[in-house]
Amino acid sequence: MKLRLAAIAAGLAFIVMSAGGASAAAVCGEGTGQAATGEPIVIGAITGKTGPDDFSNSTRAAKAYFDCLNANGGIHGRPVQYMVEDDQWNPEIAAQLAAKLVDDQKAVLMVGNSSFVECGANADFYKKSGITVVAGVGVPRECFFASAIAPTNAGPRVSMLGAMGYALDQLGAKSVVCIGPNIPNVGSWSCDGVMLLAKEKGFPASTILIDQGSADSTSVMLQAASSNPDVIVLGMSKGSAVPLLVAAEEQGLNEKIKFVSAASAYDLSVPETIGPGWDGRFYVNMEFNDLEATTPDNQNWLAVMDEYGQKSDPRDTFAQAGYLAARIAEKALMSIDPANITRETAGKAVADIKAFESDIFCAPWYFGADQPRHNANSTTRMAVSEGGKWKVVSDCAPSPDPELADIRAFEKSAGITQ
Amino acid sequence: MNFLPFIISGLGIGAVYALSGVGLLVLFRATGVLNFAFGAIGAVGAHVAWQLMEWDYPLALAILAAVLVSTLVSFLYGRFLAPLLSYRDTVVRAVGTLALALFLIALMGVVWGELPRRLQFPTDQMYLTLFGVRLTFTRIIALVLAIVVVGGITVLLGTTRLGLDMRALANDRDLSAILGVRITRTETAAWIITGIFAGLGGLLLADLVRLQGTFLTFLVIPAIAAAILGQLRSLWVTAFAGLGIGVAEALLTPIDWISPYRSATPFVIALIAVMILGSTAQAALKDR
Repeated sequence: MKLRLAAIAAGLAFIVMSAGGASAAAVCGEGTGQAATGEPIVIGAITGKTGPDDFSNSTRAAKAYFDCLNANGGIHGRPVQYMVEDDQWNPEIAAQLAAKLVDDQKAVLMVGNSSFVECGANADFYKKSGITVVAGVGVPRECFFASAIAPTNAGPRVSMLGAMGYALDQLGAKSVVCIGPNIPNVGSWSCDGVMLLAKEKGFPASTILIDQGSADSTSVMLQAASSNPDVIVLGMSKGSAVPLLVAAEEQGLNEKIKFVSAASAYDLSVPETIGPGWDGRFYVNMEFNDLEATTPDNQNWLAVMDEYGQKSDPRDTFAQAGYLAARIAEKALMSIDPANITRETAGKAVADIKAFESDIFCAPWYFGADQPRHNANSTTRMAVSEGGKWKVVSDCAPSPDPELADIRAFEKSAGITQ
Repeated sequence: MNFLPFIISGLGIGAVYALSGVGLLVLFRATGVLNFAFGAIGAVGAHVAWQLMEWDYPLALAILAAVLVSTLVSFLYGRFLAPLLSYRDTVVRAVGTLALALFLIALMGVVWGELPRRLQFPTDQMYLTLFGVRLTFTRIIALVLAIVVVGGITVLLGTTRLGLDMRALANDRDLSAILGVRITRTETAAWIITGIFAGLGGLLLADLVRLQGTFLTFLVIPAIAAAILGQLRSLWVTAFAGLGIGVAEALLTPIDWISPYRSATPFVIALIAVMILGSTAQAALKDR
């Protein structure tokens, strides 16, 4: 509501100057208000738009930001030509599209990619082509174990371990069951992290991998409850998490067991859907700041979406990720000579980013030059379902994933403090 | 490992599979159409119920509207589109319903999207505790409904004029026509009955499983598996097969090595059924 009032106020102020401007002014690039007219800089993106789920919110937000940038002087006068392709959740198509964007269109960077299949299909190709990918949303393990791909999000495993860390520190977890999808390099990867942490810290834990298409959630919950855990960690998409929670409530498990989830269940619709039975009982991890946070950069993201995005574009975490990826690319490109923007110079400029600050992140984002893998976003928050909304309940905390040891070691050696 | 809780947990969904299987069978026996759109027709009704409850209409009205909408969709297809295919192969007529299913999936996608929703009935909060598992009244209702419906249909087929006409059509369509069975009327009645079943099944599945168009559409598969186990003839065998599929799927949960793949249960059972009963099912199809 506060946001809407602010938007109306700003809209009234701007209505004289710009027709159709109905939100707080979006700030992009040099903020000149002059459209960029120079030679376009080609930036590519691959997203999974059509298929089992629509992942294109990331590229939609990046597109909105680049449109805003182009209307405000571009990269020192040169506009960004942002080319987004849909891989249809098909690795073969993803590979063809990467070749098209990189080889034929001569893209200098890939920005805002968000796909379930693309990282696995294209990681080697990107490395060979010498192109750098500032991904929006990485999901499977391949997105976080490639030298050319640096996602802005934390990923399902780091996020799940963030939730696990909260359960250990704040909810007093002593015995845990991890429920993940039976998708290789997603569900087992995430739950393996919980198992590894359990081994290190010496608490009992077990894993249940399930088919997201299974109709019978009650049996899954009975199976999970049979080992008497005090915390159940979910790594399911929101579409599968909701039926599991419904089944758990039906069995009265919401009163006995605390439920925490990776960010995959963080969607504004979830608290209202699962209802009051979960008030104060279902916690989710957040890879980024609260979607409604009133901090400056989060407000700028919303303003960019209002002014340059479609009304129907979702304002969700994927959109935050895409916005951040676009801003990181902008920062890199602004730092180099506009007459000499090539794949090499752009890639190097991204690699040189050591501290990109935004209040949407918990900690400054960096690329990690010459590292075999990238996972800069590894510090996350938690929220709890309360009265039909998410209530942020924790400050930023580093994810206790043991697999982040190499990342932490690099941060230490490079003087990056998280 | 204690399997008893899983039997209880499988009974609710099994009962809806049974209900759906019987709904499919009534239509198939009377018209020779295997209705792949059964799940989608039910899903449309369930979405209507959700929408009405969202607008704060009373529960009874929402349930009534859901069943009415499902019945209407089924009636419209059965009365106006299905007859256009009535002299084609069984396969062609089944594929025709697939078109309806795809159309309904798209319609639900446009109107309601694919976001997860929760359809709740007050009976979800009431339960009996059996073997440490809560058996909600919604599940008990599903079980009772399945039994009542099979009994009711048995009586309908055995004692009424409509039932006689349906059985006549099932035996020999052309001969029935010569003998004066009003084919269109009998077939339309079968479409209406299957529509009511789809509406009830859709409401129950949306509550017990999840309210999502595509997902509910594909839950027709276990129902088809049940009908195949009933050799596309026996109502009681179909009903028990539906129940059995639900329980079998639940029972596989605690078995670690197979648990992640247990949602394949209906498909595997259907495949095995086709292989074993293949010849007899073939005979049933030839009858048409």
